[in-house]
Amino acid sequence: MYDAKIRGELVEGNKSYADISRDIMEPIETAAPSWWLPAMFVSLCMLAFGVWAGYTTVTTGIGAWGLNNTQGWGWDIINFVWWIGIGHAGTAFSIFLLILRQKWRTSINRAAEAMTVVAVCCAGLFPLIHMGRPWMAFFVFPYPNTRGPLWVNFNSPLFWDVIAISTYLTASATFWYIGMIPDFATIRDQTTSPIKKKIYGILSFGWVGSARGWLRYEALSGILGGLSAPLVISVHSIVSMDFATSVIPGWHTTIFPPYFVVGAIFSGFGMVLTLMIFIRKFYRFEQYVTNGHIDAIARILVFISLIMGTAYATEVFIAWYSGSEYEFYTFFKNRITGDHMIGFWGMVICNAIIPQLFWLEKVRKNLAVVFIISLFINLGMWFERFTIIVTSLSKDYLPSNWSDYSPTIVEIGIFVGTLGLFTFALLLFFKYVPMIAISEVKGILKGTKLTKAKDV
Amino acid sequence: MFNTKTNENLVGVFDNEDTLINAIKNIKKSSYKIKNVFTPYPIHEVFHELHMDSRLPYLAFVYAATGTVSVFSFIYWASAVNYPISVGGKPSLSITYIICMFVLTILSGVVLSTATFFGIQKLFPGKTPAIIHEGITNDKFVIVIEKQSGMSEGVVAEINKLFISNGAIETGFKNNIEDI
Repeated sequence: MYDAKIRGELVEGNKSYADISRDIMEPIETAAPSWWLPAMFVSLCMLAFGVWAGYTTVTTGIGAWGLNNTQGWGWDIINFVWWIGIGHAGTAFSIFLLILRQKWRTSINRAAEAMTVVAVCCAGLFPLIHMGRPWMAFFVFPYPNTRGPLWVNFNSPLFWDVIAISTYLTASATFWYIGMIPDFATIRDQTTSPIKKKIYGILSFGWVGSARGWLRYEALSGILGGLSAPLVISVHSIVSMDFATSVIPGWHTTIFPPYFVVGAIFSGFGMVLTLMIFIRKFYRFEQYVTNGHIDAIARILVFISLIMGTAYATEVFIAWYSGSEYEFYTFFKNRITGDHMIGFWGMVICNAIIPQLFWLEKVRKNLAVVFIISLFINLGMWFERFTIIVTSLSKDYLPSNWSDYSPTIVEIGIFVGTLGLFTFALLLFFKYVPMIAISEVKGILKGTKLTKAKDV
Repeated sequence: MFNTKTNENLVGVFDNEDTLINAIKNIKKSSYKIKNVFTPYPIHEVFHELHMDSRLPYLAFVYAATGTVSVFSFIYWASAVNYPISVGGKPSLSITYIICMFVLTILSGVVLSTATFFGIQKLFPGKTPAIIHEGITNDKFVIVIEKQSGMSEGVVAEINKLFISNGAIETGFKNNIEDI
């Protein structure tokens, strides 16, 4: 059981239920902060850059990218895997912590789930545009066709990717929306604006909070949580199989599925930390996202960072111990040393070394430092995907085949565009959706307070 | 499809979870039947006191199992019956089917369970619910007792008194409230 005396209060300030509704609805009910519109403008500019890059790709062809016969994957797949990794936070947070009955999830899960849905959409854009003819994307699904019918290859990790990511997006979006229904109903009943009353009334699906409704709601949350928890493991395992089932040195390893899953949860938690510190600071949610919440995430990150470090060391050790000269070359001459050593050492330093600072309580309590470390984690996880993809592909078995890779402005544009899309969607989320799950916070209020909830 | 039967109800509004639970226990001891309870967040003790249970998890199991079987049947039919392709002599019935089956089992469980929830709970975009009290999604807790036809004024007054004596801050009438 949660003991507030030991673990601290989850919601500070002796809030009443009405206070919680009012505080969380405040960004929706009041004018956007002064930085919101300029931030929106910047995100739209980034998005426009991405749209231009996407248009160039489609009209010119994949030749507009820096890829070549040797380097068949580049920024597209690096960024795809990076976004998918970030997209693991929502489910990891909401679902693992829901199943484990961790009450501290309630202040954070909504934002983490929103981030998941947007990040998975950003991720999905990369393979889509890499097809060159994205309007033919439906070819990847098994549908009755006039070519035989010729079915997709059900044994291909690329097809598994399609269904895993579609399922993940569907499950995450459903879980997110179901969670928001009672909160939309709260806004419908509390807002004074007739337009908002109408819009949130539609979004709330007529929710009234009857006992039977709550019982079924809880049952559904449990079902979605229980079904989606294995999905967190399977999605990134399947993504790793895009690499691991090949025979490319540096990819063909059995450690890849767990290594990718842990990496994904690591980057997801890193991004959650970045986002929550931002929300807490700029929307003054300090009493809901307390130092205790940040501390708990930091503790998890230091543990996952150790696993990441172990995975990196294991890969290097096996490259030597296996006696495979190709593996040895990839790791010792093309990662630890060589052309791409910046990527490799960037990955090790950002993911395995810098987060170790979280062992120190002083660091965990200093939010500016925590924020900077969370950015390093995001960067480190990008370096990891760069290292895996570029080092292994650039120099494989045949030296005459070797080639280097650097992205073109078009590839950079697509990535910047997805960053713009992510920021744009989150800004809308900040303004129009309750950032913290109102009903869930109310549900944990009684048991996690040092003093009795004050009467309204 | 939806129950449009009109009904009259007596409602007691509470502002505290503990008072509500206590009131439910006391009303259960009286001869009046609780028709429904409305709360701003799920309270397990309410479910317990009203002896409620959900069969949704069983349905979810059936949905997921249906997904597993359908996906296996489809992939087997597509790969081994409809258009078999020999890839390096590998068998058409492959162990790797499990991956698609696993993922799509989850998908069918999620989608069908959610659709069932919306269906049985009669939730849909644009539904105009009967709002018993504007605070039920905020900070108020409501107990509803149906006003049976032929219920005398004296009995109504007695029910209201029962609400008040158990800590209700407000009592009133409300039409067309859904049953539990």
